Amino acid sequence: MNAPSILVAPKPLSDSTPVVELRRVSIAFDGPPVLEDISFTVAPGETRILLGPAGVGKSVLLKLINGLLLPDRGQVLLFGEDITTLKENELFPLRARTGMVFQEGALFDSLTVRDNVAYQLIQNSTIPDEEIDRRVRQALSFVGLEQTFPLYPDSLSGGMRRRVAIARALINNPELILYDSPTGGLDPVTSATIIELVMKERDVHRTPSLLVTHRLQDAFTLCTHRFDAARNSMVDLPQGKTDPGTTFLMLEEGRLIFDGSLHDLLHTNNQFVREFLE
Amino acid sequence: MAFNRIDRTARQTVLTVQDYWLFAGRALLNLFRPPVYWNDFLLQSDIIGVGSMTIVLLSGFFTGCVLALQSAATLAAFGATAVTGQFVSLSMIKELGPVLTGIMVSGRNASSMASELGSMVVTEQVDAMRALGVDPLRKLVTPRVFASIAMLFFLTIVSDACGILGGAAVTVYLNHQNGTQYFHMAYERLRYPDIVQGLVKPLIFGYILSSVGCFYGMRTIGGTQGVGRSTISAVVSASVLIIFVDFLITHVLLTLFGR
Repeated sequence: MNAPSILVAPKPLSDSTPVVELRRVSIAFDGPPVLEDISFTVAPGETRILLGPAGVGKSVLLKLINGLLLPDRGQVLLFGEDITTLKENELFPLRARTGMVFQEGALFDSLTVRDNVAYQLIQNSTIPDEEIDRRVRQALSFVGLEQTFPLYPDSLSGGMRRRVAIARALINNPELILYDSPTGGLDPVTSATIIELVMKERDVHRTPSLLVTHRLQDAFTLCTHRFDAARNSMVDLPQGKTDPGTTFLMLEEGRLIFDGSLHDLLHTNNQFVREFLE
Repeated sequence: MAFNRIDRTARQTVLTVQDYWLFAGRALLNLFRPPVYWNDFLLQSDIIGVGSMTIVLLSGFFTGCVLALQSAATLAAFGATAVTGQFVSLSMIKELGPVLTGIMVSGRNASSMASELGSMVVTEQVDAMRALGVDPLRKLVTPRVFASIAMLFFLTIVSDACGILGGAAVTVYLNHQNGTQYFHMAYERLRYPDIVQGLVKPLIFGYILSSVGCFYGMRTIGGTQGVGRSTISAVVSASVLIIFVDFLITHVLLTLFGR
């Protein structure tokens, strides 16, 4: 990976207002509820890892937070604003403050990597092309893919596409990042690269995030490692130490059954959690 | 059980029609509220207008040919082959030019809109666009709707001209009649209400084919199979709707203009 390039200064953690707050949220699609009575918060600087088996509603939860879906009941507060009462056009400014990495990357296949990463800058502002190019190169450098600047997504591997998607999510210096299974379907080496990028964003920019995954290994790596900017790689935390800002949530059949630290997760009595961990 | 199914289907149909009108209405109103994506409008105009030129030229020309052949055969029974030009020009300008162009462009572009937008929906590109703070209706749908309206207007004029030329070719080379007489009759009997009738229709047909194509595309569910289903539904619905609305417009305009 290339030398680290800091996109913005670290954000202060003093503000105690949750970046995201869900209050008794439920949603269903022509059938039984997909999510029922979900409540939790994401504090400034916090990284929350949402665990659960496939099809349990994890991606739906991320889309609810970003206002891409509206709940049937309950409230979703994003940056302190209840987005369930906002119209679609009122949501765009809030979404512009949020970075989202989709499950398969969701890159625009008719646009080059440059235009994909710069999409938000091109569509929503009048920034000169030279400045856009500079920021795209900076974002691509952050994910170690500067050489892909003129390429189309079709010519990239699955892992590279995810990394471009991360660069796209980061280019506008988001105040919250939502990762939807960023390592899903990738080989272990590529997964480790992606997790390292997530960790880098967490430790270098201290951006709060919510990461959906069903891979325990990724979740534990995030908890037990930190990003060393000097070495430009992740390093182990001392034995027995975990990142205090990284905590867990777990879903089972649309219900939130766990909310706590790694220590709590490993020592819970909940039968489903124990089976999932084993 | 059967009653429940009918009830559910009826409710879904009403909801779909309601969704369509809201969707089509918003797509239209977006042109009058910023941001307007003019670059996308130009790009779509090129794809829809220039891209459809060949099929419109060919279909218009051969429709005119067939009209001249058929009408000459029928008119000969009354000794009125001289009015072939009038028959061809009025048929092309008032009816066949707009309707055929609408259906041809719908087959080419409503299907392409439905499949392109449908693929974007199933690969989460539309969600990604929303997540990046861009309204897909403004960015993807409105430029397509306005490009279709503008381009269908000009394509219809091209189709009308080609149809009249096709009729002339048949009249002169196959029916061995006088070309000057054909063009004279084609022009002489033409009135402004006929032209208005022929040029109002493509505006509405362009709106129908693009809004229907985009509507089905944006509602795609069920992966690649869903994209196929949306494409078929878009072409079928747009074509049928164009013919149905043609009947309504013709009725209204005939009542209005009296010819």
